[in-house]
Amino acid sequence: MRKKVFSLAVVFLCSVVSLPAVFAAEVKILPADVILTGPHAHQRLLVVAEDKGRIVGERTPQAQFTSAHPAVATVDASGIVRAVGDGETTITAIVDGKQAMARVTVRKTKAPFTWSFRNHVIPMLTRAGCNSGACHGALAGKGGLKLSLRGYDPTSDHFVLTRQALGRRIDRSEPARSLVLLKPTQAVSHGGGQKLEPGSADYHVLADWIAAGAPGPRRDDPRIQRLELLPAAAVLKPKATLQVLARAWYSDGHSEDVTHWAKFNSSEESVAAVNADGKVTVAGYGEAAITVWYSNLVAANRITVPHLDAIDANIFTSANKSNFIDDLVLKKLADLRIPPSPLCSDEEFLRRAYLDAAGILPTPEERAAFLADKSAQKRAKIIDALLERPEFVDYWAYKWSELLLISTRRLPQSAVWSFYQFVRQSVADNKPWDRLARDILTAKGSNLDNGAANYFVLHKDISDLTESTSVTFLGMSLTCCRCHNHPLEKWTQDQYWSMANLFSRVALKNGERAGEVIVQVLPSGDVLHLRRGIPMPPTPLDGKPLPLDSPVDRRVYFVDWLTATDNPYFAKALVNRVWRNFMGRGLVEPEDDLRQTNPPTHPELLDALVKDFIDHKYDVKYLIRTIMNSTSYQRSSQPLPGNQNDDRFYSHYLVRRLSAEVILDAYSQVTGVPTSFTQVSSAAGDSTSTYNGYPLGTRALQLPDSLVVSRFLDTFGRPERSQTCSCERQQDSSVTQALHINNGQTLNDKIRAKNSRIESWLREKITDEEALRRLFVLALCREPTASEQKKFLALLAESAADAKTTRREALEDLFWSVLASKEFVFNR
Amino acid sequence: MLRLESDRGVTVCDGLTRRDFLHVGALPLIGLTLPGYFARRAGASAPDKDINCIMLFLLGAPSHIDTWDPKPNAPAEVRGPYKPIATKVPGIRITEIFPKMAEHADKYSLIRSVYHTAAAVHDTGHQMMQTGRLFQGGIEHPHIGCVLGYLKGQRGEVPAHVLLPRPMGRTGGNMPHGQTAGYLGKQYDPFVLNADPSAKDFKVPDLLPPDYISAVRASRRQKMRDAVEGALAAFEKSAQAKQFDDNFNLAYRLMSSPQAREAFALDREPAAIRDRYGRTRFGQSCLLARRLIERGVRFVTVNMYETVFDEITWDIHGSRPFTDIAEMARLVAPDFDRAYSTLLEDLHERGLLQTTIVTAMGEFGRTPKINPAGGRDHHPGVWTILIGGGPIQGGRIVGESDELGYIPKTRPVTPAMVAATLYKGLGLDPHRELPGPQNRPLPLVDYDAQPLKELF
Repeated sequence: MRKKVFSLAVVFLCSVVSLPAVFAAEVKILPADVILTGPHAHQRLLVVAEDKGRIVGERTPQAQFTSAHPAVATVDASGIVRAVGDGETTITAIVDGKQAMARVTVRKTKAPFTWSFRNHVIPMLTRAGCNSGACHGALAGKGGLKLSLRGYDPTSDHFVLTRQALGRRIDRSEPARSLVLLKPTQAVSHGGGQKLEPGSADYHVLADWIAAGAPGPRRDDPRIQRLELLPAAAVLKPKATLQVLARAWYSDGHSEDVTHWAKFNSSEESVAAVNADGKVTVAGYGEAAITVWYSNLVAANRITVPHLDAIDANIFTSANKSNFIDDLVLKKLADLRIPPSPLCSDEEFLRRAYLDAAGILPTPEERAAFLADKSAQKRAKIIDALLERPEFVDYWAYKWSELLLISTRRLPQSAVWSFYQFVRQSVADNKPWDRLARDILTAKGSNLDNGAANYFVLHKDISDLTESTSVTFLGMSLTCCRCHNHPLEKWTQDQYWSMANLFSRVALKNGERAGEVIVQVLPSGDVLHLRRGIPMPPTPLDGKPLPLDSPVDRRVYFVDWLTATDNPYFAKALVNRVWRNFMGRGLVEPEDDLRQTNPPTHPELLDALVKDFIDHKYDVKYLIRTIMNSTSYQRSSQPLPGNQNDDRFYSHYLVRRLSAEVILDAYSQVTGVPTSFTQVSSAAGDSTSTYNGYPLGTRALQLPDSLVVSRFLDTFGRPERSQTCSCERQQDSSVTQALHINNGQTLNDKIRAKNSRIESWLREKITDEEALRRLFVLALCREPTASEQKKFLALLAESAADAKTTRREALEDLFWSVLASKEFVFNR
Repeated sequence: MLRLESDRGVTVCDGLTRRDFLHVGALPLIGLTLPGYFARRAGASAPDKDINCIMLFLLGAPSHIDTWDPKPNAPAEVRGPYKPIATKVPGIRITEIFPKMAEHADKYSLIRSVYHTAAAVHDTGHQMMQTGRLFQGGIEHPHIGCVLGYLKGQRGEVPAHVLLPRPMGRTGGNMPHGQTAGYLGKQYDPFVLNADPSAKDFKVPDLLPPDYISAVRASRRQKMRDAVEGALAAFEKSAQAKQFDDNFNLAYRLMSSPQAREAFALDREPAAIRDRYGRTRFGQSCLLARRLIERGVRFVTVNMYETVFDEITWDIHGSRPFTDIAEMARLVAPDFDRAYSTLLEDLHERGLLQTTIVTAMGEFGRTPKINPAGGRDHHPGVWTILIGGGPIQGGRIVGESDELGYIPKTRPVTPAMVAATLYKGLGLDPHRELPGPQNRPLPLVDYDAQPLKELF
């Protein structure tokens, strides 16, 4: 062993000598403090280069390791330290003449040892993929063997492995004859192929455990409490590699290197990929989070890969800053060396702000007034004015109605109106978000008098109620945990059913009026855990449990936890939704998938926004104002050479297709022809009925119901409002949309309508030039460029010369072309 | 406005012909490139040996006993009025109301032991038979044809999956019917015809410009649209903007492509062949399905009916608004017998049956015991479906129902197994995973559902 280390060291030394000294930085060992507990304990060490406190590369392969006391712990050439005898020692690594040290404490090497079913056997099976959803972890199992998905139920797994199938799966007297070893090694035919190498370390874990009598999970097993991913952050160069280490900390204070059994993922493969062993390889510029899952805990770190181009630091320090958002956005851009685009023009800003905040286009008069305003504060002033407009209320009432699934899909028309009016009034009053949540989640009484009570009418099923509440107000999905522990998150099935029990006492009864339901809270009643069949103490996720016999309204207890200023999810979920509305991409994306394994692009910024929002008493309008006034929101959409590939760090405004409702309303606004909404579809979408509740002139954004018939809205991705998920709204383009704009009735009919704007322009005997100018201002909030004017006038002259095309048709074609253009259909 | 059949062209009000429109419309497309789009769908326009599929959905649910699983030895209240007849394949007997089908029994197999255990409403069966799954937990699963389109992309300019003639309508369960791309997203929804191919004025809505927009104007519109260019730089690197442009370009191609135009031009079919399929909505839909497959469409779903309420269908409860067994035999069965047999024969003659799976299925069976109204009610306990073509063998029988046609007697087959069989036939691993909602991996069909290997 020693000889081998020596010879390897020589090889490494030679290679080091031939390398230029690229790392001027210091070197350091991770982890610097190692405690090895038990005879089989080991820890892999990482040698990293550090520059100004940041880890900038890995040097492990070049390092030469030595142990001060090999009788306590040995270290091999790859940096793996193994326990030998109790005591303390230091490990030294030398790279390029630089030295780094780690302290190692070894304990309990003489203590009796067996592999733990809970802490070793199951993680080993999990790593081999045995209990994955595709194999024996499937609901129906595979080939007669059914394990719990990724080992969430050790007791049942132990039973299955040791008792089921007449006990043939293990052979205590001759472990190698156990089916659990014969199958995965392909000694006997295995549908899943070879999963285990005979004689490997993992093989021995299983074999030794069987030889030790295949002991089951014990009540006093140490439980995993914390998972650590090392290093926590690194700044790397293209093509660099970096090993990451996963360390688990247990309830008895000991820790284990679990890198070999952990599951790694990259949030952004195009920036940094990670293989099954935790080796990260840089693929491109940007940032990626490496996440690790082990025994139902998760952790993440951050890999930053700055662009290599030298860039003047002054760009970032001298850039305009309006508030803290800009400080943090610019900091990230500086770290990544991505230059920010300059501010957008006043015209661009005006159209953008109107569409993003209120879903409308600025009128030519509003545009003229804004352009004429010479005050330095004019953008802030227009933001304030926008936030007081009735269309602002329409827009946000629509957005929250969508979130709350208001629709005749599951509610009668009267209930839809009552729920919608509640939401609309809340937006008009700028009701603080915590108050809105409380009003909804503790609603009682008649759904027709108290619109918020419809929330419980919509979500009659307790699982639906639990899961929808979680997505709506916490921005996270708990659906997985209904049946098994969350495979990507720390939430367990026990936590799910503890949370569900908070809603078990909601009762509904029919009222006297048509469509009336009375929401009540019963004094007793529990929901039973799906698997255990017992009621769990009502507990809001990681909050404190409420005793099962407590007489308080459990919903109030939940809302108290939800809206407490230290709740880590509630404010974040809302802030992220609002941010995405304006910035085109959530700090967490998708916007309602907040989880540790899906970290935000700008954690500090998200935290700062959340703190600011809470400090301002959950004032949504204040949050909107803050975002809109930031320079980051007001940047040009036109990229610079250095930032054109950036789609997440806000170096320029991200162009986006307008939503179905906004496009349709904008068509009405520009053509002067309102859309008529007269039919409502059945919930299954297979029949329609007439409904007269929407007078002509009602805008799409004013509809309280998602089942109002509109071919256009459906084609362009209006959400169905059947499940709480941002994924319901589809921003994707499709060929059907393009065909509909070209040949369908929506746009063509508006242009051709007798009462359209074209008609009044014809009466004025408008010139081509004037028509073009007016249309551009109306639709695009700008005048045509000289080049556009030239092309358009030539085409309009062609129309005029064409005896078969009437003047009206020429103008119709002009309108169509601008309204079908990308610039119109997109916000930029 | 799809009058594309005529060699002389159709004169429209501006004096130009539709053929002119298509010509003019095509001009701006020269030099038009969609490298990203087609690179994503590698080899999409190259000829391939991929298997296609035509799914005939017999909405309303045929009575298995009165059709393809006769029970001549059962008591009269079960066996019904129709006698079994021999077919081209010894051992396969179907009822006498399908004489044409009997001549083609070598081209399809019968699965006589399909069953499901969900609620006995039409909608659940629609979901399961077309997606392989019952919709639960708010997840809408994609139609098999949409999955195929998602995984393989479209061939050339025609859509990957076309649904004829209209989507399923009201069938009483108030649930989705499984005819969309579900969680895969709207862009993978089938291209829905939304028109009746047997109608005199048959046209595909939105496919071509309305009559009042002449070819010259349409061309000018595109040129003007291209002239809006003041903000192009902002869109250059946006994937969303690129997708929008790609789809506009695809729409232009679809509008002006001879391939797409041809595909939908039912009037190009000789009158004799149109008669052979039957001049009904279903007959002409089957013919259109063949045309579409011939021209590159990968999957065609034909809904024989759209609702069980406003028409005479397979839903033979006996009492109004439904029909009874006799009416079904008189009105429904001959339509199917003729169109289905002609489709198999026609595909075979053109050498397309080797690469095209044809399946005909309902959403459940019907109660073995005839009810007092002279009809039969919903019975998901067992029923028969037809499948053949492509790699799926004809002339075979899989499974059998018990003596009274209540439950499977041998080889019970779930809708998921049927879906797995179709996926395998289409050359896809039935357990290949798709990114489901929140990126939860979802296999095409559940892991425990295996294809029916005896059909290959």
